[in-house]
Amino acid sequence: MTVFYENFERHAHGEGLKAHSTHYCPGCGHGLAHRYLGEAIEALGIQDRTVAISPVGCAVFMYYYFDVGNSQAAHGRAPAVALGHKLANPESIVISYQGDGDLASIGLAEIMHAAQMGLPLSVIFINNATYAMTGGQMAPTTLIGQKTATTPEGRTTFAGQPLKVAELMAQLDGPIYVERVALYDNKQRVKARKAIEKALRLQVEHKGFSFVEVLSECPVQLKLDPVEAQAWVKANMAPVFTLGVKKDTSADATPREWHRPSFDPELLMGQIGASPDHPERHAAGFPVHLDADDVSLKLAGAGGDGAQTVAALLTEAGIREGFDATHIPSYGPESRGGTSYADVHIAREEVLSPASPDPHVLLAFNALSLRKFGPSVRPGGVILYDSTVAEAPPAVAEGVRVLGVPFARLAHDLGAAVVKNVVALGALQAATGLFPPATLRTALARHLAKKPELLPLNEQAFAAGVEAVARLMAR
Amino acid sequence: MSPRARPDAPHPHLTSAYCKGCGRCVDACPKHCIEPGTAIDPLSGLVPVTLDLEACTACGLCYEACPEPFGLHPDDEQHAWELSDPKEHFGPRRESSAPVAVDRPSRLIPLPSDLAPLIIKGTYASAIGALLAGCRHFFGYPITPSTEGAELMAKVLPGLEGVFVQACSEVATINHMYGCGGAGLRTMTFTSSPGLSLMLEGVSYMIGAEVPGVIVNIMRGGPGLGNIGPAQSDIRLVCRGLGHGNTHAIVLAPANPQEMLDLTMLAFDLAFAYRNPVVVLGDGYLGQVTGKVALPDHLVEPGLPAWAVYGDREHRRNLISSIELGEADLEARNLELQAKYDRMTANEQRSDSFRCEDAEVLLLAANTPARMAKAAVQRLRAQGVKAGLFRPVTLWPFPMDALAALLPQARRLMVVEASLGQLEDELRLALSHAGVAHPPIEHVQHTGGVLPQPDEIVQAVLRQEGAR
Ligand code: SF4
Ligand code: SF4
Ligand code: SF4
Repeated sequence: MTVFYENFERHAHGEGLKAHSTHYCPGCGHGLAHRYLGEAIEALGIQDRTVAISPVGCAVFMYYYFDVGNSQAAHGRAPAVALGHKLANPESIVISYQGDGDLASIGLAEIMHAAQMGLPLSVIFINNATYAMTGGQMAPTTLIGQKTATTPEGRTTFAGQPLKVAELMAQLDGPIYVERVALYDNKQRVKARKAIEKALRLQVEHKGFSFVEVLSECPVQLKLDPVEAQAWVKANMAPVFTLGVKKDTSADATPREWHRPSFDPELLMGQIGASPDHPERHAAGFPVHLDADDVSLKLAGAGGDGAQTVAALLTEAGIREGFDATHIPSYGPESRGGTSYADVHIAREEVLSPASPDPHVLLAFNALSLRKFGPSVRPGGVILYDSTVAEAPPAVAEGVRVLGVPFARLAHDLGAAVVKNVVALGALQAATGLFPPATLRTALARHLAKKPELLPLNEQAFAAGVEAVARLMAR
Repeated sequence: MSPRARPDAPHPHLTSAYCKGCGRCVDACPKHCIEPGTAIDPLSGLVPVTLDLEACTACGLCYEACPEPFGLHPDDEQHAWELSDPKEHFGPRRESSAPVAVDRPSRLIPLPSDLAPLIIKGTYASAIGALLAGCRHFFGYPITPSTEGAELMAKVLPGLEGVFVQACSEVATINHMYGCGGAGLRTMTFTSSPGLSLMLEGVSYMIGAEVPGVIVNIMRGGPGLGNIGPAQSDIRLVCRGLGHGNTHAIVLAPANPQEMLDLTMLAFDLAFAYRNPVVVLGDGYLGQVTGKVALPDHLVEPGLPAWAVYGDREHRRNLISSIELGEADLEARNLELQAKYDRMTANEQRSDSFRCEDAEVLLLAANTPARMAKAAVQRLRAQGVKAGLFRPVTLWPFPMDALAALLPQARRLMVVEASLGQLEDELRLALSHAGVAHPPIEHVQHTGGVLPQPDEIVQAVLRQEGAR
């Protein structure tokens, strides 16, 4: 058979007999499953594009034998590795091959989720009711009463009950073909060969996920000779793990279509929102009246107040004006409705520490934020707060201007409570002169580029904030 | 079942040495042509069956029952092993008939030079860096504070005909990467500290099997569930503990959104240059902080390396595996890997320095704490202290060569970090290996999501200077 290497070079460096003999014990079912896989690969003419995933277990060295692309996976992970290969090259035919401990115990999550994805993959599951490679411990498929190294008195239900994996797979929506076969006589071997070929053919046709469970003999761990082991599997395993097709919707399966990844620069630029720079600068220079090099702001409220949006607009404005700017959010433990704070820096050259422990400007949307951060505003700074819901803080540093503007009420008067943060943005502009109004209006328009119908309302809200501060300052 | 007479089907043939005497064929033959043997085969030491094909109908059931690929087989196949000379049984060695693959190089595609800088958070910058580096296969499991990078990938990749998979766990994630990277493709994930812990087995496999991949780890506070605050809690893990065995990976430590993009792009090149995973190590702050990010002048259309198990004829010979059964083989393998780590150490040290030229007080910091340390340097300089910042950009390999050049003039080294000495340990280990003299090492440390602030760094330095 050409699908097997002419010499098993990887088997003990291909020395002597090992160049043509498997590492499996006499009569092991793995060898038969390999034979049928090899025959199927040959019959389907897919040797060149087959990738076989070797598991951990007795079949760990499956890659010694098949002259196909080979990859060796960690214990339990063969289906996850197989998916990686399949998604990398959908034209490849990927075979995930695992034993019972590997697939049905440590790797149960991987096989279930791979199955549910339903991608064209062929899974061969060797069930020999024992952990064979590690010396015959209990497997998830060990029968009740069966003695193993870790169930010396025989498995009881306390050790769990035999997992019927083919039935489990058949319950899932993902697979299109699930069959359990055996190797213990000529008739079963013919069925096994056909099932394995079908599992591969469905992948060649891009149809879907196929799963073949093979009841297999491990004469060594059963402590039987191989022919007795065949009889044991027939008498003991087959009644529990019933043979036959458990699911087959392959006739209705439509071939999956695949696309090649794109490296088109235009497409990528569009996806990440990159566009040529048309600087629209409105500021005459850095707002040195606030700080010579680095203005820090804190915007604080509850989730939903819009503090993060104001922060994002200020950051964008700063960068578009040619400065450096950063915005770092912090949220309370409640993911919704909890606190929502944002630290913003606008720096002439480079923002160093992005945090604002002692901001020049505080914008507080509620009383809690005002109380918490009001005292931290540095001397000569500005505090703006929503006077709809909060009262002026008792203690602030020297020379701090405190301005209460009814953000919520002004927004309410405009008929849209959600724009209170834009009212606040307008108020912040007027109170601090951080940027010219045009800078922030541009940022606002950019922010609403996909919802231009909302721009007039937002413009009104911004203006309302500006006017409210102008009135306060005129007093 | 009745035996099928297949006139076209050949009779069975057996080379005794390849028979393990299991008896499956004996049981399978309806015509009782096969008998358990009695004589030990001198080559195998096993007892092969004997064939008497008088009654054989060439039904083929016997060889369909034989588990050995070179065991019982149809007689029409002509193989070298049928020659009688035992030497011919095992040679001449014929390898796979598949060709030997060659590297297909990557292609750089220019981008317009007048692109506006993006204003994005660190995780987005890293995701975009990966896209520009030609990564079209993303696997991940949501974990705060790294998830937004994955979310951006989920949004963007379908439009590029790429693949986004939300895996069932971090364990599955890293194994998807093992498969996809093993196929020779550029693949990545975003994770955060507990998620990385879960991935470590797979990372060790990737290193052992020499599978490239990029892991962006946005560190949070530990141990255990800890919290989602910014921390540098995994420095030891990524520099010294990438799973079991003799493992190392290049660890890149960005300090701002721009570097999140630049270093993620670089990570892919390094991962493929060395056939090894690369870790981009950020802190929670860096993942969240929005800043200005300039785009590079090109994007990458990746080629395909010769070693890939891509699933085509050209790459059929290849194997991705980390198993080496023989002790001598595994030792040799580890020495090869070690030589590779040595090459990384010699060639990939990266660092940045700020006002180090005459610095007597050398601050050493990475990631976000390096920004605070830089601010502290400015304030110290304003107060007449000759301070400078040395910032390792690779935490492994530690940029000892560049640091060593600054040590003779330094009176004091101060490590600023968001962990309780993990960065300092890397420094001390590097100093010890390099065997260079160094001044006393002080530190400013925080943990649990608290970051060192410029003022306390300044105070710490001034305290030390005052004590001089
Ligand atoms: S221990 Fe069992 S499963 Fe493993 S190779 Fe031997 S017979 Fe096969
Ligand atoms: S081909 Fe059929 S009849 Fe001939 S030896 Fe094999 S099983 Fe028996
Ligand atoms: S089935 Fe194969 S290995 Fe087993 S006894 Fe027959 S020829 Fe030998």
